[in-house]
Amino acid sequence: MSFLIRQTLIYAVPLMIVALAGVFAERSGIINLALEGIMIFGAFVGVLFVRLVQQWGWFDVAKQMDNWVALQGFVLMTMAVAAILGAVFSLLLAFAAINLRADQTIGGTALNLMAPALVLFLIRLIANQNTLQMATGDAASWFMLKKTMFGFDKKAKLGFFASTFLDKVYLTTYVCIIVFIVLSIILYKTRFGLRLRSCGENPQAADSLGINVVKMRYAGVTISGALAGMGGFVYALTTANCASTGDVAGFGFLALAVMIFGNWKPLNIAGAALLFGLFKCIAAAYASLDINGDGVFLLANIGLNANFYRLLPYLVTLLVLAFTSKSSRAPKAEGIPYDKGQR
Amino acid sequence: MEQNPEYVIEMLHITKEFPGIKANDDITLQLRKGEIHALLGENGAGKSTLMSVLFGLYQPEKGEIRKNGQPVKIESPNDATALHIGMVHQHFKLVDVFTVLDNIILGAEDTKLGFLQKKDARKKVEALSEQYGLHVNLDAKVEDITVGMQQRTEILKMLYRDNEILIFDEPTAVLTPQEIEELMQIMKNLAAEGKSILFISHKLNEIMEVSDRVTVLRKGKYVGTIDTAGTTKEELSRMMVGRPVQLVVDKDEAKPGEAILTVEGLTVPSKVHKNDAVKDVSFTAHAGEIVCIAGIDGNGQTEFVHALTGLEKASAGKITLCGHDITHASIRSRSQTGMSHIPEDRHKHGLVLDFTLEQNMVLQRYYEPRFQNHGFIRFGEVRTYAEGLIEQYDVRSGQGPVTIARSMSGGNQQKAIVAREIDRDLPLIVAVQPTRGLDVGAIEYIHSQLVAQRDAGKAVLLVSLELDEVMNLSDRILVMYEGEIVGELDPKKTTVEELGLYMAGAKRQGKERESA
Amino acid sequence: MKEKTPLMQREGTRSVLASLISILIGLAAGALVVLLASAFNKSLNLKTAWEGIRLIFLGIVSTGRNAAGELSFGFNPVTFGNMLFRATPLILTGLSVAVAYKTGLFNIGAPGQYLAGTTATLFIALEIPTTVVPAWLVWILAFLGGMAAGALWGAIPGMMKAFLNINEVLACIMTNWIAANLTTWAFDVSNLKNTVENTKTAYIYKTSFNGVQTPKLFLDKIFPGSQVNGGILIAVLLAVLMYIIFTKTTFGYELKACGANRHAAKYAGIKDRRSIVMSMAIAGAMSGAGAALYYLAGNTEFYWSTYQSLPATGFNGIPVALLAVCNPVAVIFTGMFMSMLDIAGQQLTALTAYNEYITDVIISVIVYLSAFSLVIKLWLGGRKKKSAGPKPDANAEKAPAAAVSAAEEGKEAEK
Repeated sequence: MSFLIRQTLIYAVPLMIVALAGVFAERSGIINLALEGIMIFGAFVGVLFVRLVQQWGWFDVAKQMDNWVALQGFVLMTMAVAAILGAVFSLLLAFAAINLRADQTIGGTALNLMAPALVLFLIRLIANQNTLQMATGDAASWFMLKKTMFGFDKKAKLGFFASTFLDKVYLTTYVCIIVFIVLSIILYKTRFGLRLRSCGENPQAADSLGINVVKMRYAGVTISGALAGMGGFVYALTTANCASTGDVAGFGFLALAVMIFGNWKPLNIAGAALLFGLFKCIAAAYASLDINGDGVFLLANIGLNANFYRLLPYLVTLLVLAFTSKSSRAPKAEGIPYDKGQR
Repeated sequence: MEQNPEYVIEMLHITKEFPGIKANDDITLQLRKGEIHALLGENGAGKSTLMSVLFGLYQPEKGEIRKNGQPVKIESPNDATALHIGMVHQHFKLVDVFTVLDNIILGAEDTKLGFLQKKDARKKVEALSEQYGLHVNLDAKVEDITVGMQQRTEILKMLYRDNEILIFDEPTAVLTPQEIEELMQIMKNLAAEGKSILFISHKLNEIMEVSDRVTVLRKGKYVGTIDTAGTTKEELSRMMVGRPVQLVVDKDEAKPGEAILTVEGLTVPSKVHKNDAVKDVSFTAHAGEIVCIAGIDGNGQTEFVHALTGLEKASAGKITLCGHDITHASIRSRSQTGMSHIPEDRHKHGLVLDFTLEQNMVLQRYYEPRFQNHGFIRFGEVRTYAEGLIEQYDVRSGQGPVTIARSMSGGNQQKAIVAREIDRDLPLIVAVQPTRGLDVGAIEYIHSQLVAQRDAGKAVLLVSLELDEVMNLSDRILVMYEGEIVGELDPKKTTVEELGLYMAGAKRQGKERESA
Repeated sequence: MKEKTPLMQREGTRSVLASLISILIGLAAGALVVLLASAFNKSLNLKTAWEGIRLIFLGIVSTGRNAAGELSFGFNPVTFGNMLFRATPLILTGLSVAVAYKTGLFNIGAPGQYLAGTTATLFIALEIPTTVVPAWLVWILAFLGGMAAGALWGAIPGMMKAFLNINEVLACIMTNWIAANLTTWAFDVSNLKNTVENTKTAYIYKTSFNGVQTPKLFLDKIFPGSQVNGGILIAVLLAVLMYIIFTKTTFGYELKACGANRHAAKYAGIKDRRSIVMSMAIAGAMSGAGAALYYLAGNTEFYWSTYQSLPATGFNGIPVALLAVCNPVAVIFTGMFMSMLDIAGQQLTALTAYNEYITDVIISVIVYLSAFSLVIKLWLGGRKKKSAGPKPDANAEKAPAAAVSAAEEGKEAEK
């Protein structure tokens, strides 16, 4: 059970944070179809940063001394780098959509094509193969939190809580959850949030009240880019052993679906992300999934084809969209370029 | 011009051009403190542009704005707000999913460390709404409240910002006569408290009732400013249009013939709420008469028309057209049975804006053998036909039949639709708000066309929100309130006031009207 | 008609110009990336960068390296033939995106439809024994089967859009991944895995294994040694067919009306839902046909374990269509251009230290530019029309923003 929860969280957390990325863009009025591309870019940037820092030897001493606090600082630094560059990358979309009033769907698609192309081109040049990995070691040995770090004995049998949330987990999960909560509060309880939301619903009204729609939409897209970039790195770290392959397997699009399913509201999105995370987790680990710890691999024993589990998250997404489309309510002005001259 | 502190706001010699059009040409407007100043002009006279200039949405090419005699620059709504200028726009600038309170404070929020502080704001708004009698529910979402309450929210937005100069842009278009009465009173209260009010309208009755002075614009030009007390409606309308206007449609007595359309017990479910939008509506429209469905916007007229024309499904009832039961017929077969439809929203339903004018002219009949041969379009025929209609109905456009519909003016777009629908020569014409947003000339034209169709023996079903249109054009009025027909009136035997009472649901006839 | 022609020419010129500019900027961006990458990589230098850049622009006429180790250029019938061969599926996925776009739908589902077409085609072509059914008949069945499968896969998001109003982009993306998994699944349990050539893992038999392949139609005489076959002619025919349907027939009129304004189409008695599903089905059929023609060539083979990746040919339909401004005939040429870019990428991998992903960078830049080239053209066109037309003084206030605001006004009017 601990394993299932941990695994589900690993998938649910990036989904949640990237879905929130979608919320910030769309609530400001810009459809960010480029979440997938920004994730890919963020994952690459994060992994590249880890690799370079390792090559420069900044944390060699910390690693030898087993100074896990310093190493967690390394993770936080990388998350920040991925977020910043994700935000920079998203400016391409913001510029096209806001300044040039471009078709946001095509603009987003362009970024989705650009990210993997650029990333793969560079990975090939850097690593001479199609995968960029850490320079030394693996994600688990460098970045994973283990029970020993919290003073538990190596052989200690942990309670349910500790074994689920303190052992074999990544700090990124908790950072993301905190960021998610903080940003959700900002969205609903601050002046900035109120104004941002007004731009996605009725930019003409916002403008007539002296709110700078262009600035707000830039803010929305940039925050969106930062979250997606960070989410991309978190995804690469926790599910791909801190490697970048120019691909996040449609995760950015799943996040968009989570956002729609969650009706553009953070609380619902958190719930939806958990649900989708569960399906992703089943798809990835159904064969080794021992739900109640009795050594019986229930799902593997049913004997369904592996491909069935793999396509499940996408199929479920499609079905969920089909059943919830009637009640979902997108920000009214999303996707419509704002022109001051229009009233 | 020397400084004159008598005026709170002066707009002097304002000129604003758009590509190809001088929307404002040397316009001067001077507003005294504490007066209600009407700004009169037709659609397209330049009123809204002038107000947008005052509000900082547009920058004029020439001219000067002064506040209390001092020249000021207004480059954004922020500047206007700083000068305590506020505006209730014709289309309300409200965020539907926000509460009334959030809408009022938006853009002028109190915060502590960036967090919203709504307590003081709530107190202030409550005090204001008490003071001016502007009753609103602060915690309701805007999408759930009535149009009247939305308008009060807009007024509170201005008062919350301590605005001294209040602009009302066509505020009565969406209100019932009773609500209009209420609004007039509110405006008088505001002026009495020292607020200066600019009242934009083309409705002469209201201007005569409430304003102190009137400034008239015509086709972007300044016509003059006069005291309301010393003028008449006729004079004002002449100033507005530039020629004497026929305020009444000239038509003969109707000679109703056989029944063309019979609606029995039509009920349509609502898409927004759980109740029915149209409840048990029955009536008959005869050849040679104009039957008008009157009512305030949102009382089921749209849903009724959609069910009648097949755009939406009815849940109960029966529709008979020319003797055929069309209750469950498709849109195409209704239209072929004998129904043409001038839709309410010309951009949404009436036209494919990205198509050319000629493609739009055959929108309802492209499939007829005249226009196609084994599925291939006969382009020559389409061109000839479109040119004929353009000629006959005087539809003006840049490049004739190949003009993209989007680039045409609203009046000509509407004329194109009217031409297309009337030319089909079908026994029933459903015309929904056929003159919305048009200038007097186009309105006169469309009205005369509809009367001509009536005289040619067609049944015309007119759905209108404009009281003048209803009273002038129709031979019989059915008033719709909350999805029901609450009264059937004869325009010659009723008054606007009585009609208003029915529209507001304050009065209704019993079931005995069924006999009609 | 007479007054129309010069305008059409102007419109056309403008479009061609905009596309050429997009292409040039895209290529320049590619060159820039090569230059930047060379600056930060020790094993690369200005000389290699210059080689890379030349190949980006001239890859189609590259003939490898000469004895001195320098890049050499010249006409190469093999490269040209291969270009035509690779253009075949690109033209068709381009058509797929273009016809959907003409009817107001953004078909990002071409990869999934392409996979559906691939699966159906290969199963039919390989499972029907040519000892019983003549090979030419199997070919036709496999081709039509591929089209039908693509059409079905396109119709699914079409139906979701038409009946449930689900954004077709999201639905297409999900059906893409479902197609990828289903395809892997289908071949995983099939007996079509190539076990003859042991060097190959996870590949399906070529259709020529069953004696089914597209006739060459003498094209191999013109481009000897290349992969070209009659498929390119079929692609061109389909493009012309699409052009005729969308510009000359009432059916095309209905689909376009529905795409430009679904509500107005419905008002005019056009069955809007059916039209949307039809548009997507036609789009899917085009993608399916592209896959069918590619794999029926007989010399191509399919990597079946595709659940983690989607075919680039599908996505590349987007730039092909956008560069062609969604004109089906122009798609033929932009498809060939995209194929040239593909070849340039291969040359780059083969001849230099750079790799073929640079072509994808170029493509993405082109797509990015076309996102607002449409807007710019609209703006240009709108301005021209206004100055040409009479002043719509009756509605002067609305006129300035009329070009774009009309839709907006419609929205407001709804309230």
